[in-house]
Amino acid sequence: MRNIFRSRVIGATFVVLALVATACGSGDDVADGSTITVGSFNFPESQILAEIYAQTLEANDYPIEKKLNLGSRELIFPSLKSGEIDLLPEYLGSSLGVGFGIDSASDADSVATALSDAFAAEGVTVLQYAPGEDKNVFVVTQEFAAANNLVTISDLAGVADLTLGGPPECENRDTCYGGLTGTYGLSQLKFESIQEGAARIAALENGEIDVGLLFSTQPVIVEKGFVALEDDKVLIRAENIVPVLNLSIADEYGSDLTKLIDSVTAKITTDVLLELNGKVENEGLDPDAVAKDWLTSNGFL
Amino acid sequence: MGILSDGIEWLTDPANWEGTNGIPARLLEHLQISIVSMAIALAIALPMALVLGHLHKGEFFVNAAVNIGRAIPSFGIVIFAGLLFLEWGISLKFWPVVAALVLLAIPPIFTNTYTAITTVDPELVEAARGVGMPERRVLLSLELPVSAPVTLAGIKIATVQVVSTATIGAILSSGGGFGRYIVDGFGQGPPGHAKVLGGAVLLAGLVLVIESIFALAERRLLPEGIRRLGRATDVVDAIGHG
Amino acid sequence: MIVAQASTDRAFFQWDWVLAHWSELGEQTVEHLFLTGTSVAIGLVISAALAAIALRWSSTFGPIIGVGGVLYSVPSLALFALLVPFTGLTSRTTAIIPLVTYTILILVRNMVAGIRSVPAEVVEAAQGMGLRRRQVFMKVEVPLALPTFFAGLRITTVTIVGLVTVTALLGFGGLGQFILNGFRKSIVFPTEIIVGMVASVLLAMVLDFALLQAQRVTTPWLRRPRS
Repeated sequence: MRNIFRSRVIGATFVVLALVATACGSGDDVADGSTITVGSFNFPESQILAEIYAQTLEANDYPIEKKLNLGSRELIFPSLKSGEIDLLPEYLGSSLGVGFGIDSASDADSVATALSDAFAAEGVTVLQYAPGEDKNVFVVTQEFAAANNLVTISDLAGVADLTLGGPPECENRDTCYGGLTGTYGLSQLKFESIQEGAARIAALENGEIDVGLLFSTQPVIVEKGFVALEDDKVLIRAENIVPVLNLSIADEYGSDLTKLIDSVTAKITTDVLLELNGKVENEGLDPDAVAKDWLTSNGFL
Repeated sequence: MGILSDGIEWLTDPANWEGTNGIPARLLEHLQISIVSMAIALAIALPMALVLGHLHKGEFFVNAAVNIGRAIPSFGIVIFAGLLFLEWGISLKFWPVVAALVLLAIPPIFTNTYTAITTVDPELVEAARGVGMPERRVLLSLELPVSAPVTLAGIKIATVQVVSTATIGAILSSGGGFGRYIVDGFGQGPPGHAKVLGGAVLLAGLVLVIESIFALAERRLLPEGIRRLGRATDVVDAIGHG
Repeated sequence: MIVAQASTDRAFFQWDWVLAHWSELGEQTVEHLFLTGTSVAIGLVISAALAAIALRWSSTFGPIIGVGGVLYSVPSLALFALLVPFTGLTSRTTAIIPLVTYTILILVRNMVAGIRSVPAEVVEAAQGMGLRRRQVFMKVEVPLALPTFFAGLRITTVTIVGLVTVTALLGFGGLGQFILNGFRKSIVFPTEIIVGMVASVLLAMVLDFALLQAQRVTTPWLRRPRS
């Protein structure tokens, strides 16, 4: 009898421990107010930017929790709207187009206004956007561009049997495969889903794909001598970095918080993005270390 | 939640049954990856296990294969294979996944076969030698048939593991069989859930078919007496998973 | 044709990177252990309950193993994706539930097989000595089933350590984060991938060894007397 009782107690203890552990996750710093959960997408630049914001807040005694490298926008947006993620470094045009399926003029101010309106209904506030932007670019190898006289995306119309390589989410996006077959009318274009950048670059170089989706702030484009095709029909709108913040967090901490974030955002230029991406993507440094260095040299830490 | 009905709708949508991303094409891809991987793994593991088992040598290999083989994460080995093939400048589409799957398939085949051969009743083996059987025939006509059930069990475990882990190959590059649906649907957020569910159902179905084929093969190929021998010694079990 | 001349100007493996990342390695190892331990612990509780049902009503064994087998053959990434809408993207629950489902098949089967492998004569002898049903179960059957149970627990634990790495695709992953982040760069970083993998293998082997020792301690009668 005692043995059975004991085994039950042990069993129950396991369950309770497990539940408590799962529920707690990491400790909440409730004493100072609500924890600000900082999220990021699943590519290095997003991790660097999230680290930049998270470390700034941390240095100014805001309780934060980092949830980085989560996934695509399609995966993260429901969590952003539900308040599971409070702060996310976003990109103007993609956020509006992919996140809400809304069209607008392509300049940064128009996109920012439309994005603010769209997010307001979801309890999320759009902070000031950065001078720096990172656009989706469609690249081809130099040889392929020369052989087919390619300068603009429209020039692809003359090439038969084309394959675009992009991450899974590209397939359905109007700013990606959907836009190339739609707006640009490239009906001959096929799509190959290749999740990671390095694999896409390799596929581009060995001819498995003809066109690859990369980011304009990836130094590898210049290093490999890839040709970024000009977006002559303006599929891609302004893509300035823009932090978006949960409204209740913004209200709770007031303008002290938003001004702090804005001051950091103002320093993020396209050159900064190129430089920081190079350190992570080419040199193998860690996003958190790269972010810390940059914040320190800019006087934020 | 309409995920279930969305999944059924996805599976029954004729558009998903045609083209290079259609279910038949992805099934073929999945089978190609799995069959090539299993063929290579069998070609490596079976002869080694038969010979070492017959000679009762290589206990060390068995222990190493069991312990390390089981501990290697399939996710890690797939990405590591991707890394090597990137360095060598070979396409990431097919061979790195096969290389990883071969490594994962070898331990269960090797261990089961080796264990089965070494546990054949020594008196039987001695008797065979006593009536003048050459070593080669002792191995092929006695040890191999008697150990067949356990060997077959090892091959089944390896096959099921290879077929489910092939899914992870879809994170390396394009292609990837049914894993394509799961990785893509995952990246596409809530609208992709139907695809994820469809892919998972297809994969589970494929595994079920493979298990039935093995069950059938066991019944057809092995005489009742030998099958019973097998069950008693069937100790080595499923490892790893996608 | 040479495709990606990744890392032409740096060593394939950089020891100084490892030395500079001890604390991160430690943190991710703890996270990895936490995800593994929680999943296996919950799996043990559920499996024990299911095994008890299967032993009490033997006709339920087939269906329980059947469902366990189906769960086992569903790819982990699919389960993660389908759970996100219910358990959230940032909650560890999303990672843990699928991991738990993978423990059940092997744990239940080995628990039941262990108890069933106890020879009937031994049980009868125990009853003959006047032990009650429960005493027979706790003092005779369970101890004799321990080796089979531990074999299942070892396989399960090692499998889960490997599967935790997959949760890196959700932003968790423990040591799997190194594996994924090393690959998630336009020029892949081999050191990070290798470190993540080797650390994960070592963790699995250490846990396997620890469980083997636990089995030896709890089944002293199996230790061969030295000759």
